[in-house]
Amino acid sequence: MSASCDIAFALNGVKRELTVPAGMSALEMLRERLGLTGTKYGCGEGECGSCTILVDGATVNSCLMFAADCDGRELVTIEGVVTRQAGERLRDAFVASGAVQCGFCTPGLMVQASHLIERDHARDEAAIRRGIEGNLCRCTGYRKIIEAIAAAADAATQGTEHGRR
Amino acid sequence: MGAAEKPVAKDTLIGKRIPKLDAPDKASGKTRYIQDLEVPGALHAKILRSAQVHARIVSIDTRAARALPGVHAVITAADVPWQRPIGVAKDHLPLKTDRVRSLRDEIAAVAADSEAIAEAALKLIRVEYEPLPVVVTPEQALAPGAPLIHPEPRGTGEGPQLKTSGASVAFAGKPDNIAMTFEYAQGDVAQGEAESDVVVEDVFRLHYVTHCCMGVSGVIAEFDSSGNLLLYSNTQVPFLHKREFAELLDIDPGRIRIIQPPIGGGFGSKLDIYPFEPIAIFLARITRRPVKLVFTREEEFIASPTRQPVLLKLRSGCHKDGTLTFRTVETVHDNGAYTSWGATTPFVMMQTISSLYRVPHCKYHTKAIYTNNPYAGSFRGYGNLQATFAVEAHMDKLAEAVGMDGLAFRLKNAQDPGEVTPQGMHFNSCGFKECLRTAAGRSDFLRKQAENRARWNDTDPIKRGIGIASMLHVGGGAKIYPSDGCGTILKIDDFAHLTLITGASEIGQGSETVLAQLVCEELGLPLSAVTVVNNDTDITPWDVGVHASRTTFIAGNSAIGAARKARAKILGAAAAKTGLAEDALELRGGYIVRRDSGEKLFELGKFLRGLHFSDRAELVMTTFYYEPPSHHQDRQFKGDVSAAYAWATQVCEIEVDTQTGIVRLLKVTGAHDVGRVLNRLGIEGQIEGGIVMGQGYALTENLMVENGVVRNPNFRDYKLVTAPEIPEMDVSFIETMDGEGPQGAKGVGEAPAICIAAAVANAIFNATGVRITALPFTPENVYRALHGAAQLPVWNDAA
Amino acid sequence: MADIKRYTAPTTLEEAAGILRAGNVTVLAGGTDLMPQTRAGRLQFQPVLMNVRRVPELGGIAEQGTAMRIGALVTITELLESALVRERLNLLWQACDHFASDQIRNAATVGGNVCNASPAGDTLVPLLALNARAVLASKPNGALQLRCVPLTGFFLGPGRSCRAPTELLTAIEVPLPPAGFRGEFYKHGTRPGLDIAAIAIALGARRDGPLLRDVRLAFGAVAPTPIRAPRTEAALEGRPLDAATLETAAGIALEEVHPISDLRASDWYRRELIHNMLKRVLTHVCQL
Repeated sequence: MSASCDIAFALNGVKRELTVPAGMSALEMLRERLGLTGTKYGCGEGECGSCTILVDGATVNSCLMFAADCDGRELVTIEGVVTRQAGERLRDAFVASGAVQCGFCTPGLMVQASHLIERDHARDEAAIRRGIEGNLCRCTGYRKIIEAIAAAADAATQGTEHGRR
Repeated sequence: MGAAEKPVAKDTLIGKRIPKLDAPDKASGKTRYIQDLEVPGALHAKILRSAQVHARIVSIDTRAARALPGVHAVITAADVPWQRPIGVAKDHLPLKTDRVRSLRDEIAAVAADSEAIAEAALKLIRVEYEPLPVVVTPEQALAPGAPLIHPEPRGTGEGPQLKTSGASVAFAGKPDNIAMTFEYAQGDVAQGEAESDVVVEDVFRLHYVTHCCMGVSGVIAEFDSSGNLLLYSNTQVPFLHKREFAELLDIDPGRIRIIQPPIGGGFGSKLDIYPFEPIAIFLARITRRPVKLVFTREEEFIASPTRQPVLLKLRSGCHKDGTLTFRTVETVHDNGAYTSWGATTPFVMMQTISSLYRVPHCKYHTKAIYTNNPYAGSFRGYGNLQATFAVEAHMDKLAEAVGMDGLAFRLKNAQDPGEVTPQGMHFNSCGFKECLRTAAGRSDFLRKQAENRARWNDTDPIKRGIGIASMLHVGGGAKIYPSDGCGTILKIDDFAHLTLITGASEIGQGSETVLAQLVCEELGLPLSAVTVVNNDTDITPWDVGVHASRTTFIAGNSAIGAARKARAKILGAAAAKTGLAEDALELRGGYIVRRDSGEKLFELGKFLRGLHFSDRAELVMTTFYYEPPSHHQDRQFKGDVSAAYAWATQVCEIEVDTQTGIVRLLKVTGAHDVGRVLNRLGIEGQIEGGIVMGQGYALTENLMVENGVVRNPNFRDYKLVTAPEIPEMDVSFIETMDGEGPQGAKGVGEAPAICIAAAVANAIFNATGVRITALPFTPENVYRALHGAAQLPVWNDAA
Repeated sequence: MADIKRYTAPTTLEEAAGILRAGNVTVLAGGTDLMPQTRAGRLQFQPVLMNVRRVPELGGIAEQGTAMRIGALVTITELLESALVRERLNLLWQACDHFASDQIRNAATVGGNVCNASPAGDTLVPLLALNARAVLASKPNGALQLRCVPLTGFFLGPGRSCRAPTELLTAIEVPLPPAGFRGEFYKHGTRPGLDIAAIAIALGARRDGPLLRDVRLAFGAVAPTPIRAPRTEAALEGRPLDAATLETAAGIALEEVHPISDLRASDWYRRELIHNMLKRVLTHVCQL
C-alpha cells in the first residue's frame, strides 16, 4: 500500500483539504479526485501541454507534478481562469478568432495564454509562438490561436492604459 | 407594431466569419469528451497486448489476475468463442486466439473498479509464447517459404461491404501474404510511352505517420436490462458501425444506440472498428456493468492504425511540347498484420494518377502485402498525399526535360471546367488553372525559382528553395457505399427556434456550425436561433459518415433541402393568409417580409404560433434525404464517383541549411478551389490546420517502425509541428460556384494536407539541385541526400 | 512502480540531510524528470520520497566573490529571468532559452538537471564549459558537511553521477568568466527548445586581437556524459581563427567525441554535425 499525504491548498480561490497517494500526479488528483475534467490528459509526459495549470502564478504541466507537492500552494485550472475577467476576454478572443476546432488542446492553451499575457510575454508574434511552444495542437495549425492571444493581449494592454475597465 | 417600421435588408451569412457554436464551452473547459464522461457504476478496462511481434500463443494464465481484489472480469478469446472478425477484410478477431501477428495484438482484457487495479491485473497475466519468424517487409513476406500471416479462413464477411468491382470482400484465408491487389488502366500505356519524347522513372518511398489526435481513443459500453447496447463512441461512421456491431454481437441493429461525445480529433482515425471497442462491449456483456476503456498515449501510438506507407514506382512521359502522354504506376503497400482502410487507399491514389492533369494513358497496379507490422487505416487524404508526391515530382522533372517552366507545363496539362476524364470523372466546376495562376502569381514563383537556382554554387550553406504542387480530390462526397447520402430532420418551435437534427457528425471541423449557417440563411434567422442535434443514432437520420471531405457538401444540401421545405410551408401559409403570391414573400431577419420592399408582414414566431394554435393545428417539421448525383465505379474503377471535385495549388518556400540538413518551411501560398466560402473562419481553420499537418508529414513526423516495433511511441520522439515552426500562410479561395454544391460550396477537409510534401520536395530540388524521393525530410535524411549518403528507395520486382 | 512507503517535505537543509543519512530516499525537486521516468519504469522509487522544494537554503542566485552561486532549486525560468545570469553567465543563459517549454522551465530545476546526469542535459554542457562545481551536503556524523566537486568529474555515465545517495546537491558554483569572455550555445534541433539535442556545443573564449584565449569547449549527446574537449581547446588556445585552425580543431574534436547511433540520430550524422557546427560556432564567437 502506497503512503498517503494530507494536503491543504487553494484551488481556484477555494481552500481544499485532501488525502492523496504519494505517487499520484496533480493531473490525476484534479480529474479523478476533484472532478475537474477541464484539464486534460494528452500524454502524461509533459510533452503536449494539454494538462497545463497555474501553480503559485506560473504554468506547469500538471501531469509532471506530484499531487503531494500541491500542499500549501495556489492552484488555478481552466475552470478558474475563465471566471476572471481577463480569462473571459481571452475565451471570447479564442472563440472570435476561430482558434477552437476539436477543442481538446484549448484549455491548456487558454491557461498558458493567460499566463503569457499576465507576464507581458505576448507582445509580438515571435514571443507568443515561443510562449506556446509547449502546447501541441493537431487541428488548427496554431495560426488562429496566435491571433487570439495577440488580440487578447492587445485588449489587456488597452485595459491597463485606460485604467480599470 | 409601430407604423413605418424599418424594412429588413437582405443580409447574408454566406462568406462571413462565424465562430463555432461549441467554441465557448470548449474554451472554458466545460466540454466533456469521452475521457471525461463518468457513467455511474462503470468499470475500467485495460487491454493486455502482445509482447511478441509474431508468435503462437501457447497458454494464457489469468488466475492471479482474476483473484486481485477489485477485478470483475478477465477475458481472453476462450471466453468469447462467439466473437466475430472485424475490419475491412474481416481478417481480424478482437481477442486473438492461437496467434499474435503484431506487437499491438490484443490477447486479454480486464475490467476492474479502477484503472490502477486494471493495470495491476494486466501485470499478473502470464502468457507463454512460441516465437515465430518475423516478417517486416513486403519483400520478406513474398519470399518463397515466408511464414504466412493469415492462412486460416475467417467468418463469412457479412456486413457493410465496399461496393468495389462487384465482389464482396470476403475472407477465405490467404495462401500467400497478398492481402489485396488493384488494377486500373485507361488507354494504352505502351502506346503512350512509344509516343513520348521524354520518359522519366523514379521510385518513391512514403513512410509511416500517425494521426496523433490530442484526445486518446476511448469507449464506454453499457447494456440495459433488455440487452440493448448503448455505446459512447467517437466513431466517424455511427450508422455503419451500428450495423457492424450488431453483426458482431448477433443482435438486431435496432437494439444498438450510439452516442457520439465531442471528439478530440478524428482525421479519419475513427472510420473502422478496432478491437478495443468490441472488447469493451464483451466486458460489458460479461460483467453486466458499464465498461469504460481509455488508451494511454503510448497505446495510442502503438495500437492506432497509421497512414498507409507506400513504395511507389512511377514512370511517366510527355511530348516535347509538354503534353503528358502516360503514367505507369506500381505500388507495394505494407498492409501490416490486419486489413483496415489503408489497403483501400488505391481507390483514391488511382484518381490522382489517372486524372491529376490530363493524361490519356495510364496503368496502375498495387499489391497490399501482409507483414507483422502495425496496420494502416484511413488518414486525411487517404493515399492522395502519397500519389501526389510522386506525380508532382515528375511534373517538375518532365518540365525541366522539355525546357518548360513548371507553371507553364502544369497549365498546359491542367483540365478545364466541363472536362470528363478517362476515368469518368466529370469536372463540372473546375478552378484548377486559377489555382495554379493565383498561387504562382502571389508567391512570385517563377522569379524566385530562377533566383534560387542561380545560387546553387554559392558558398553560403543556407539555400532558399521554392516549389509548386497541386492536388485533386473529391469535393462532393464519394459514392463507395450503397448510399452516399445524409438525412436531416428540421423542426421549428413556437418561438421560431430551430432544431436541426442531422446525421452528419461533428469532428471538430465545424460541420455543426456550417449546417446551422446554411439553414439560417434559408430561413432568415440568426445563428442563435439554432440548436443542432447530431450525436445520437436513436434520434438522427442516416448519414454514411464523416469522410471523403463530404460533410459540408452532402449534409449541407440535406439541411438546405429540409430548410427549403420548411420555408415553402411557412410562405405557403403566409401566402394563403395575405392573398399574395408565395414568391412575393421572403423570410428575413426573423420576419416574413415582402420580397421586393422588405416590408415586414409577420414576426415569424408569432406567425408560427398562429399556425399551431389554430384550426390548422400545424407544426413546421420537415425532413430531407440528400443523395448526391454521383455514381458507383464499375468493375474497372471507372465512374463519376463524386458530385464535385476540388483542386488546390500550394507553393512552398523553404530554407535548407546544407550543413545540418534542417529544412525550414518559411511560407505557404495556397489557392484552393472551394466552390464557395461558407464560413470564412471555419474554412481558414481547415486550410491552416491541413497545411501544418502536411508540413509534419513532409518534415518532422516519422513513426519509426523497426522489426515490427514502434520505437518512438511518444511526443518526445514523434515530432508534431509546434507553434514556433509554422510557416507564414497566404491562402486564396477560388470560388467556382459549383452547381450542385450547397450555396456553391465543395468539400475541403482533406485538400490542404495533400500537396505540401510534394511542393516541399520540389522546393528542395530548387534549393540544392538534389531530388529526394523518400519521406520524411528530417534533418539527417536531407543531409544524407545532399551528401550522397542516403539509402535510396529501391524497387524490388519480386514484390 | 515500486510503492512509496513514506512521503516527507523537510523545511531545512539539516532536516533534509538527516533524512538522506537514513538511506533509501528518492529526492523530488521539480518532478519534470522524476515523474515520467518512474511512470515509464525507467526509475524505481525508493521507499522514502523526499520533496525538497520547501528548503529555502536551496534557492537563490547570488554573486559570491569570484563565483556565482546558483541554488539547486533555482528553476530554468528563474535563470532566464535573471539579469545577472544573462550578463555574467551568458553561455548558461543561452542554454536556458533552448530548454523544453515554458511549462517545464517553470518547474525544472538546475539541480535536478545536474543530478539527472543526462548526456544531453541542456544546462550541463554550458556549466561544464564554465568550470562549474557541484556543492554537495551530507550529514555523515551528525554535523552538516559540504564538499565541492568540479562538474568535469561529476558525471560518470548516462544518468549516473558521483553524488552519493546520502548526499544532497545544494548549489552549483560557477566561477565568473574573465572579462571579454563570450560564448555560444548550439543545440541541434528543428525546434527552439522542445527537442532532445542530437548534439549540443557550448563554446566560450576571450578575444585577444586575432587570437582566442581561455578557450572552453563542451559537447553534449556525443558521449556517455556531457564532456569537455581539452585537446580541441588546446588546439585553439592562442591561435588565430583561420581556415586551417578551424579544420584542425574540428578534426581533433571528432577524436574526442564518442557518439552512438540511436533513434534520434546516427553516429555518422552526429560526427558530421560536430564537424560542421563547431566550425560555425567558432566563426560566430570570433565575430562577437
